[in-house]
Formats: sequence, structure tokens, C-alpha cells
Amino acid sequence: MIQIKDITKKYPKAEQYALDKVSLEIGTGEAFGILGPNGAGKTTLMSIITTLSRPSSGNIFVDGELITRKRNDIKRKLSFVTQHISIRKDMTVREVMELSGRLSGMSGRLIREKCDQLLEYTDLSDKSKNCARGLSGGQQRKLMIARALLSDPEILVLDEPTVGLDPHARRKIWDMLINLKLRGMTLLLTTHYIEEAENVCDRVAFINKGKVSDVDTPFKMINDLGKYAADVFEENETHSYFFPEIQDAEEFVSSTDKMIRIRETTLEDVFLNKMGEGLGREA
Amino acid sequence: MNEKAEWLDLAQEKCANEKSGLYYVFGGIRTAVWEKWIEFKHEWKKITASSLISPLLYMLALGWGLGSMVNTGDRPYIDFLVPGIIALTTMNTGYNSVSVSLNVQRLYERSFDQVIISPTPIFSYIIGQMIGGALRGMYAGVLILLLSIPFGVSIHINPLFFVVMFLNGMLFSALGVLASVIAASHLDISRFSTFVIIPMTFLCNTMFPVERMPAAVGVIISCLPLTHTSRLLRGIAYGESINLLSILFLVCLLAAFIVLTNVVVNKKNNL
Repeated sequence: MIQIKDITKKYPKAEQYALDKVSLEIGTGEAFGILGPNGAGKTTLMSIITTLSRPSSGNIFVDGELITRKRNDIKRKLSFVTQHISIRKDMTVREVMELSGRLSGMSGRLIREKCDQLLEYTDLSDKSKNCARGLSGGQQRKLMIARALLSDPEILVLDEPTVGLDPHARRKIWDMLINLKLRGMTLLLTTHYIEEAENVCDRVAFINKGKVSDVDTPFKMINDLGKYAADVFEENETHSYFFPEIQDAEEFVSSTDKMIRIRETTLEDVFLNKMGEGLGREA
Repeated sequence: MNEKAEWLDLAQEKCANEKSGLYYVFGGIRTAVWEKWIEFKHEWKKITASSLISPLLYMLALGWGLGSMVNTGDRPYIDFLVPGIIALTTMNTGYNSVSVSLNVQRLYERSFDQVIISPTPIFSYIIGQMIGGALRGMYAGVLILLLSIPFGVSIHINPLFFVVMFLNGMLFSALGVLASVIAASHLDISRFSTFVIIPMTFLCNTMFPVERMPAAVGVIISCLPLTHTSRLLRGIAYGESINLLSILFLVCLLAAFIVLTNVVVNKKNNL
């Protein structure tokens, strides 16, 4: 279990808090998503959880133990896939993996064994002797995920794991994440692809301007807003109206002669609604 | 079930469950040295060529060109010059091989993030980087020794000569780590080199005896580590007894740099 308690972060010379008393609990084996617009504080939170950055105040506990940069016993449980590509590009794919294994304290035999399996799992086997610099963006991301899985972590933290990928590569990574979730790994990921969170996460939290506003399952959030949405194009923009039942939506359609499309509400609707930058108003 | 995911069903051999903190300390040193070796393996031709160019130019321009005009007692100037060039080359190679690489990893490739989040203590990884840098410095030093043969250089070499080369490389690798951790950009690394490394290259008893400097300047220069390295290497090369205080000075300075680097790394909130 990960417990995030009253984490505050203020960068030097910054006027606003990057994180303002953020508290969250992520259960063992849970896939938890943190959603928010650019600059909301998602990456800062991930950096603090993984000890890349230190909080101004507050603590993070993993299985009840305080995590700090010096706690190698706790850090062993965690792996992190950063938002930016963070691999040594002058090394080959296999060397990138080996470096990570060595840093995790793995034996050479175990590194070789797992490296082969993971490169096959991520379709990188035929690239193992290639320089990482020559890989495509999607392949570099896959390599980062393979590297993170090498030490067999209990918790995998992913910061925008599919940013910049084409839809095919993105779906491939989602499948990998769902597979890991089904096998009991705790996943903590940030994304601004709402569909990603909806597909992968058991629960999500919305974060904006350093504050967490809502935490719940995507299903519950959608139900609370209304399972059905009616998109109305009016005043040169689309406004969405939400309804608990489809009959309510159909009744709304029949009451107007405007161009209307009825569809199921998505987590993106909830996100836009909560962030205050939504397309429309609640019905 | 996805066949490719069978790796997860393998015996859950937790890689390091029963391993002590000391295991990670030695593992971190070994990993960093291995990393430097991989860097070398990929780039050895370029590294070798670039290690040779400057010393070769110094030997040609100063040893052959100006050497006949320089009075260094009863020994040829080239014999005086070569230990100085070895000292400055182990310094430059040690410093550059660590500072540039670590700075690129930290600020541009961001691959240093993996070191911070790993169970390996950063301190041990940094020690490993210093050892790797020192070995690269020694490699460059040995190349110069080989290069000096056609120049007819006649100097004594013993194991202590290599120990001093290693110590000097380690000292300036430590400085390289410190610079790379403090630097806010890649330009800072070259600025540091301009203000610290280059002046030492020319002034610290490398190309002419420090005794020829004005007294006040000589005192300052005597406090710089490269002066001691040059003096030690030259003493060994001449077959003379060496000043143990100079070795002690270098060891103390190395210890101070290691401690300082560790303090800076631990104090930084965002590496």
C-alpha cells in the first residue's frame, strides 16, 4: 500500500505551490490513475513518490515504511517509468537493461534470463544489439517499461507512459499494463489521455493546481455525472448535457429542434466537468 | 494467457531480498565502473585518438620545438616535460570523462534518474564513477608513456608511478562529479574547466618548474593538487626519493572532495 500524507511542494522562486497538501491511499494490487491538465502537479507528485525530488513537507509510506532516498529496501519495491525518455542512448538495448539490473542489485544470470523474456514480451528481441538512439519513440518507451519490470517490482509508477505514441503503440502498452494489473502488480500512473485511465485504472484522482479534488472509480464518477450525454451544437460550440437514463436524454432531444447527438458519458466528460473547462453544463 | 508474459510466472526470485546494504554499496561501485567500461568499449578509438592529440602536440611543440631553449639542469627538457604531461593528461581525462558524461546523463538524457530511484546508494555509484574516471586517466597516461618512446625519453617507471597517476585521476574525477552535480547546464562544465582545469594545466609544475614563478604566485600554485602530482611523477621519473607529504596532501584532498560531493548530492532536493 502507498500512503501519501499531506505532501506539499514549492519550488524556489515559484509563487504557487506545485503540490498543496496532497493525500492519497493506493491499495496493493490497485491500478490508480492521476489525471490533470498540464502543470497540475502530476509529474512532481510522481517524482516525490520515487524519491527523485524531495517534498517541502509531508511523507510517503510504502507498506507502512517511510520512503526516502536512502531506503534501498523500500526503493527495491518500486520501479518508475518517467515521462521523458530517460535511457542512455549511447548504449545498446541489452546494455540499458543490464545497467538497470545491476543498479537493482540483480545477479548477471538473472539479468540475462529476465532480459531475454522482457525483450520478447516488448517485441524488442531483434533490437537487443541496436543502439538505443536508433529506436523509434514507441520502442524507446517499451524499452523503458521493460527496464522497469526487470527487477520484478511490486509497484510500477508510470508518468505519462504513452505520451507521443501512435494509437497502435499506445494500445499495445495499455494491454501490457492491464496484463500486469491482472497479475497483481500495483500500478500508479499519470496521464492526460483520459481513455487510458478509463481502460487501465480501478480508481482515479483528479489533480489541478497542486490540489487533489476527487478520488473514485471511473464507473462511479460517470454515474454521478449521468450515464448519458447529449451534445448540442449551439452558439458556435458544443455543449454537453448529462442524464441518468437514456429516456431522459431522448426526452431532451424531442424538446428541441437543434442538432443533438446522444452518447454514453465518458471519463473525459467527468474530467472536463470537474476541471471547470468543460464543454457544457450539467442538465 | 499471453504466452509472452510467462516471465511473470517464473519463480519469483526476488533479486535482492536478502542482500545487505554493503552488497548495494559494492554493487554500485561495480556498476558505475562497468558503465564506464561500456562507454569506453563503444568509443575506444575516439577516446584513444583524442587522448593522444594534445600530448603529442605538447611534445612536438614544447619538447622538440622550445625544449632546446629551456634549461632544466643536466637533463633534457623532454624528460622534464613528459611527467608533467602525464600529470595534466590524467587530470584532464579524469575530469572530462566523468563531468561531461554525468552532466549529459543528469541534465539531457536524464538517465541519472534511474540511479537515484534505484536501491543502489548514490554515494557508491559516484565512487564507482570516480574509479572509472581514474582508470580512463591512467589509460591516457600509459598512452603518453608509449608515445614518449620515439622521443627518446629516458625516465624511471615503477608501481608507485601508476599509483600516483590513479590518485590524480581519481581526485579530478571527484572534482568532475562535483562539477556535474552543481552545474545547471552543460556550459557550466566548460566554464568550470576554463577557470579551474586550464590554468592548472599550464601553471602547476607541468611545463616549467614552479620555482620560476614569482614567490607569491608560487605559494598559491604549491597549494594546487596538480603541482604535487607533477612533482611526484617527476621525482619517480628521475629516480629520486619522493615527498610523502605530497601523497598525503592528494589523499586528503580526495577525501575532502568525496565528502563534499556526498554532502552536495544529499542536500540537493532535485538532482
